Amino acid sequence: MNRRSRGSSSSSGSVGGASDSCRRRSDVPRNRNNDNNKGGDSADVSFIVGTCSSMCPERERVTRERLRDLSVFERLHGNPTKSSSDLAVKKFCRTLSAADVQASDVRPLPVLEETLRYLLSLMDSREHPFEVVHDFIFDRTRSVRQDLSIQNLASERVIHLYEEIVKFHVISRQRLQSCSGASISSMHHLNMEQLAKTLTTLYNIYDVNRKPDYIYENEAEFRSLYVLLHLNTSSGVMGEPLSLWFRKLTSNLIKSKEMCFVRKLLRSYRNGNYRSFLRTTASEATYLQYCISEPHIREMRSFAVECINNVCYKLQPYPLLRLSQNLMMKELDVESLCHECGLEIRTDSDGCIVLPTKQTSFCRPKEGFKNYDLIGIEVESLLCEDT
Amino acid sequence: MAYVSMGEAHRRITEYLNRFCGAVSYQDSPMLCRLLSFSSNSPSLLSLADALNVFQDASSLIRQSDKFSEYGEILAHLFRSLQSYRVGNLVEAYLAFENFANAFVQEFRNWESAWALEALYVVCYEIRILAEKADKELTSNGKSPEKLKAAGSLLMKVFGVLADPYLVFFFLKLYGKGPKRVGALYVTCQLFKTYFKLGTVNLCRSVIRSIETARIFDYEEFPRRDKVTYMYYTGRLEVFNENFPAADTKLSYALQHCNPKRERNIRMILKYLIPVKLSLGIIPKDELLQKYNLHEYMNVVQALRKGDLRLLRHALQEHEDRFLRSGVYLVLEKLELQVYQRLMKKIYIIQKLSDPARAHQLKLEVIAKALRWLEIDMDLDEVECIMTILIYKNLVKGYLAHKSKVVVLSKQDPFPKLNGKPVGS
Repeated sequence: MNRRSRGSSSSSGSVGGASDSCRRRSDVPRNRNNDNNKGGDSADVSFIVGTCSSMCPERERVTRERLRDLSVFERLHGNPTKSSSDLAVKKFCRTLSAADVQASDVRPLPVLEETLRYLLSLMDSREHPFEVVHDFIFDRTRSVRQDLSIQNLASERVIHLYEEIVKFHVISRQRLQSCSGASISSMHHLNMEQLAKTLTTLYNIYDVNRKPDYIYENEAEFRSLYVLLHLNTSSGVMGEPLSLWFRKLTSNLIKSKEMCFVRKLLRSYRNGNYRSFLRTTASEATYLQYCISEPHIREMRSFAVECINNVCYKLQPYPLLRLSQNLMMKELDVESLCHECGLEIRTDSDGCIVLPTKQTSFCRPKEGFKNYDLIGIEVESLLCEDT
Repeated sequence: MAYVSMGEAHRRITEYLNRFCGAVSYQDSPMLCRLLSFSSNSPSLLSLADALNVFQDASSLIRQSDKFSEYGEILAHLFRSLQSYRVGNLVEAYLAFENFANAFVQEFRNWESAWALEALYVVCYEIRILAEKADKELTSNGKSPEKLKAAGSLLMKVFGVLADPYLVFFFLKLYGKGPKRVGALYVTCQLFKTYFKLGTVNLCRSVIRSIETARIFDYEEFPRRDKVTYMYYTGRLEVFNENFPAADTKLSYALQHCNPKRERNIRMILKYLIPVKLSLGIIPKDELLQKYNLHEYMNVVQALRKGDLRLLRHALQEHEDRFLRSGVYLVLEKLELQVYQRLMKKIYIIQKLSDPARAHQLKLEVIAKALRWLEIDMDLDEVECIMTILIYKNLVKGYLAHKSKVVVLSKQDPFPKLNGKPVGS
């Protein structure tokens, strides 16, 4: 048999699999013990193992002390030039490529867990206005996520971290509503954006290395949030139409209590059944589900007012008390909602406050993120149930 | 694997090489197709594979002759793929075939005309099929399936080659028409199949944009079979996005132009067209459903005809998995409002028979009672809510006198038909 001679005329000089032109794009994090990693495959990115033992890499802390770039939470005794390893937390910064990052700048999983615990403990801080608290935790949790993703970590402990971060974004969403200031609305927008991103990553990690027919403890609830973010097909928050998204869910996810709940909401929403939508939300929503549903609650209520105004007999103005029961709102809030919709209310001869119908001045209220209470649901007690 | 002697192996390999080079020299497309269809499992290809596994150093054979070594790279990858395929290493087979395809497409670009288009189709088909097999192998070994995704990227590249405007322009100048671009639709369809299977349907968008906006493509030139497939997939995309009029146009086109003998294909089209038509208020005949074995829609259609909400919900539950997998579940759920409309119409007709003077007044209490007969428990507040929506969306014409708890229907056409438009929003 002829031996293969050197200097082959074939340009690729193919030997075994080393020159495979197949490039593996890792947009899904995988365990580093994956056998698919062949040693000789140069297209593979090997993932960093972080070695930074404190919440903030030492050199970053020193630099920021010098540049007076310390957040109020990081200052030792209020000193803008001095921090400590107990207070400084690594900042988020856009790295240009994974190749530029050093292992000593990246925190391993136990440190990240400790960091997140610390950050979330600040949520109850009363020293500073919530916007300031939110801003700090927002940025620093983003950095935690960055460290997780650079190291390509994916395990149940990591899932727990991401779930906690999602919860942070949701709780923030609620608390930002009571804040005022010019920057609140952009903070809210950025918060929702990062919420969506964190959810996407979380879903990827649920999917990776999944045992067949297994769903994680909180997976059904967190998946249900996707549906709630996409009730309105024309607002593609995360891009994919719901019909397509449902195709990929496993059977036991679809049959879970949380998914059945959101599917019921989805049906009511799409058929315009505001009664069923509000009632179902009030009786079955978890804290997270409720918070994410708030914009749609608002939407359904405005829609209800629009329909009622459009459809009801002119000679029988609609009593506000009745309306408030239908919409599960306080009467004062209904008045406010009607005003937002450009509608007038009147007091009739019996002294009842009514909404005259067939008013032509109806307009869809502006996109706000402040919401009226949902009567029939105790939001704060839901939060205690979940945590 | 049969025993093959060295000499016989040598003979078979050389024969294949001669055939391959001959096919290219004489632009014999059908021959080339036969030489590349792995998944056809033709005896000649299988016996070649056996020969390769015995001989082991086919590259040396290729290098021995100038005629063969001209296509050295293509053939080396092709042989490796075939060898792996034969022994059941499907991941290796796919990887090698990918390399082969890359090299082949480069050659294809250099060839003067589109004589090898059919062969390129075969290559595209094999890419997808091998990738699917490779993914099965990966999954069964507990690894994540990623070859179909890679296939999608590769097909996209091929599509790019065929759709290359410079290439097309060049051919237009030389030959008056660039027949190569005709292949773009076929490749597109392979791409669609791949993306749909992967679930990365959003990737279809950029491909569609190329086909639909670039005026290079004269749609009429494409072969009918490809047009039907194209309309089927883009129609399905419209269903996912709930653009019903567009979905109707595309899927109806596919249905009209589909070969009537291809019953399986017609069934596939109807599977998506029926929910669309239902959403537009058009109800298919039972014979159609029976002929194409679409029994899952029978109860849905019946519910619409009779205004039976319970039956609709029951039908959705019974076939929930199937409807969710095909992506039509949400579309069917929305038919509820039309079912309500039908129910109201029935109540109205019954009332007209017993008391014509007051038939146009639908008491909320009566509606609630009718719903209770259907085992649906609804309080008056919710009944009022439903009626409000029906009137608002123009499924019922009239007004609601809430104090009197009655819906007063318009004397004229109180239950307007949809007339091919989706329910008003």
